[in-house]
Amino acid sequence: MLRLAAAMAAALVFAAPAAACAHPRTSMNYLQGQVMCPTCHTTLAMSDSPAAQRIRVFVAKRIAACWTAEQIESALVANYGQGILAAPSHKGFDLLAWWLPIVGVLAGAIVLAFGVWRWSRRKEPEEPDGPAGSGLDEETERRLDDLLARFD
Amino acid sequence: MTSRVKTAAQVLALACVAGLLALLVWSVVHQEHAPGVGATAPAFTLHRLEGPGKVSLASYRGKPVVLNFWASWCEPCKSEAAVLQRDWTTYRNRGVVFLGVDYHDLDSDARRFVSAHALTFPMLEDGSGTVTGRYGISQVPETYVLNRQGRVVAHLRGPITDPGFAGQFQTAIAKAAA
Repeated sequence: MLRLAAAMAAALVFAAPAAACAHPRTSMNYLQGQVMCPTCHTTLAMSDSPAAQRIRVFVAKRIAACWTAEQIESALVANYGQGILAAPSHKGFDLLAWWLPIVGVLAGAIVLAFGVWRWSRRKEPEEPDGPAGSGLDEETERRLDDLLARFD
Repeated sequence: MTSRVKTAAQVLALACVAGLLALLVWSVVHQEHAPGVGATAPAFTLHRLEGPGKVSLASYRGKPVVLNFWASWCEPCKSEAAVLQRDWTTYRNRGVVFLGVDYHDLDSDARRFVSAHALTFPMLEDGSGTVTGRYGISQVPETYVLNRQGRVVAHLRGPITDPGFAGQFQTAIAKAAA
């Protein structure tokens, strides 16, 4: 009976902040992949340094307080600067980091397509000189016949 | 037409390679190194950790400066704090300035640390680590002692409570204040 009461009390304690959230609660796992450890230059998920542990505590408290991922990230940026985020922002100069790879891939695809088109065009006019499309000239054809005749 | 396209492609490829090479050279040249003894300490202006306003290193020109880099999550910084505070109270009357630079830290944690260790010398925040990077700080705590001209007299990579540094720290302050 006591156990049941304790479990219900615990459920109420943990459920209360969850119910108070007006939006889906952001996850620690998600943020650990979005935030960098400032001293070890890996994501939070991959670090167990003292600085990373402090950030984890900071994030956990804000998740419990129903902060959104954006709000938590903004708070961290205000404290540590833009470098705390694993991915660059989607505005200003940072946009280059998102667009340059796409432009690079497109440019590569265009160059590749152009190369293939030129290569296929160069191959097209070459018509076989030999009879019935053997691809050999008359002289080679005759010598090949001679050689094969020796094996008959 | 074809040869013109080929030449243009070659020029473009060469330009790309040259650009990447230039970027590599630039990053190597601009790599941040710790200023050595005798070098001028990199200038900076940082926000105060407690209270509004900024503090510039240049405003202390003419005074010996002890520049201590620390963080609240750093264990050796805790044992060092009391010694720094004691030395600050000893040397402040001789015109020596102590500045603490909190590095890669949460402001709230840093303020709690300052309060818990009753530190009274000016504390500055470098959350992004920009200034710390210019000083080549790799691990906290680290301490620089600068002379009246703003030149490095000593750079101690570790807590000043370290047996190897205790004497060195006092000697450096005496030298900087001379």
